[in-house]
Amino acid sequence: MGGKTGFSLLCLLGPFFALWALFWLVPLGMGVDLSLQSPDFRPVHREAVLPEDSAPSSSLTFLDWRNPQEEVEVVAPRYVGLENFERAIADSKFHKALSNTLIYVFGSIFVILPLAFALAVNLHALARIPRGVLVFLLMIPGLALPGVLSTLFYLFFHGRTGALNQYLVIPLGFDPVNWMMDPAFIMPSLIIQAVWRWTGLVTLFFLCGLEAIPRWQFEVARIEGVGPWMRMRSILFPGVRHLAVFAAVFLVVDGFAAFSGAYNLLGGSGGILDSGLLLVTYVYQVAFPGGSGRFDFPGAAAMSLLVAPVTAFLLFLLLQARKTFFPR
Amino acid sequence: MRRVPSFLLLGVAALVCLYPFAWMFLSSFKTNKEIYQPTLFFPSDYEWDSYAGLWSGEYLPFLDYFLHSIFVSGGQALLATFVTAAAGFAFSKMSFRGSGWLFGIAILIILVPKQALAVPLFEWMAWLGWQGNLWSLALPGVASGLGVIFFSQVFRKVPDELVDLAKVEGLSPVRTFVALLPLIAPALMTFCFLHFILSWQEHLLPLLMLDDENLTLPIALAKLRDSSHRIPEAVGMAAATLSLIPVVFLFGLCFRKMKTALVELSLS
Repeated sequence: MGGKTGFSLLCLLGPFFALWALFWLVPLGMGVDLSLQSPDFRPVHREAVLPEDSAPSSSLTFLDWRNPQEEVEVVAPRYVGLENFERAIADSKFHKALSNTLIYVFGSIFVILPLAFALAVNLHALARIPRGVLVFLLMIPGLALPGVLSTLFYLFFHGRTGALNQYLVIPLGFDPVNWMMDPAFIMPSLIIQAVWRWTGLVTLFFLCGLEAIPRWQFEVARIEGVGPWMRMRSILFPGVRHLAVFAAVFLVVDGFAAFSGAYNLLGGSGGILDSGLLLVTYVYQVAFPGGSGRFDFPGAAAMSLLVAPVTAFLLFLLLQARKTFFPR
Repeated sequence: MRRVPSFLLLGVAALVCLYPFAWMFLSSFKTNKEIYQPTLFFPSDYEWDSYAGLWSGEYLPFLDYFLHSIFVSGGQALLATFVTAAAGFAFSKMSFRGSGWLFGIAILIILVPKQALAVPLFEWMAWLGWQGNLWSLALPGVASGLGVIFFSQVFRKVPDELVDLAKVEGLSPVRTFVALLPLIAPALMTFCFLHFILSWQEHLLPLLMLDDENLTLPIALAKLRDSSHRIPEAVGMAAATLSLIPVVFLFGLCFRKMKTALVELSLS
């Protein structure tokens, strides 16, 4: 490797890794450091930030969040080891948030992928222009801000007189559902929102996968008189498998980071009985408790870090599933 | 006859995707009382008051927030596209020691998304003194792990002969990368657009990072609803309609190219 190639590499990879280090590695390191500290140490107020280097280790300046001017002497150990992680693992609300998030992620993936596949197969049968128009329409909810989706949900779909009750629940002969107040329906309502939001994008992915299948494959299938199930299994599925894995990865990552939709729909709380509490919402609640309590940054950092292995495991499972179901 | 269920499925899906947004647009002309009747579609009369109120900044400086969102999302999307495309090119078209290892650590970023790092990121920005600054919002999303994967796939499709030819012609790898950019324009536009949407929709980081005079659209919309007892719902609906327009416009521009890029990508 000559000096010139080295310089080129630096130009090509440098910007990425500089930003990678500055805005991911440093915060990650700080997060790890923070997660090992005692929550009683150095709560940072939004306006009042302590100088980092002036903190002596035995007697600490403590900024109370309520009145940032007042300085309180506190004698507390700065590092407490894995205490925050233990606290998070023992926290029943954290369990609730984690299981809610898993239900949310899997619920939305298992609805979105088949639905999008069905839509894409049906769209594929249409002529080019109506196909394009329809895909464009299906994409619209994905383009809107999640906050807008929540507002529409709140005003349009939900409520006793909302569209879901008027057009779906009552005609089917059920009692109108109180979507936002009934704990049994808060999670389905969040999942419906995710489905509404992402199905269009995944449909677009799948449609492009189907369009990339060479025509002769369909011709052969027609001449051979292949049944619809065989046609699906040997032509259509292989056509979309890469995009399906990509879409699933995208949905897992997005599902774990989901915040805005639930935040708007439930006003920053977890809803009744915390049945709509998602991980990021809870981490946000722990870090910035509204009105009462203390900023618990270390606790929040520990929870955030506990999520990474879960995501990693899920993504690993997805890639394994791909190898099992779609061997090359 | 066989196609009736197919049309029915597509028709219902299109209706579910379009109707609520049409209702949203028409609701920007309604009174609160009309909005609270979701089955009512058309307003009783068409007054552009709520749009005028947003334009004049009667409720909050909406125009400023709108421009902030355009700046943050546009800047982040453009930077992310070129930065990750360069990295993707290096990973798929240049061989160097440790490339597999570097690729591995580059995509580790997917496992701990910036939303999960919000708290330390907030502290780090505070330490840098960048709090409230729009760059503190635009820059953290630029290094995208999915982008590196996407572009190394895209460049893998570009024939090696082109790169060899460039080498024979005496072009440096950086010049080769720049010369290849027009060839992957659909992929560049696709990624830029997707990143733009994700950044446009980002809610948590601006909530933490920005001061009140520097907000972006998602927060502005939440604020409009927050005080919905004072501000008419129609204003929120008008703001929601306005927030959708630039994205739909961009999508219209990128739609064809996006399909080209995705069709090519699925041929692996």
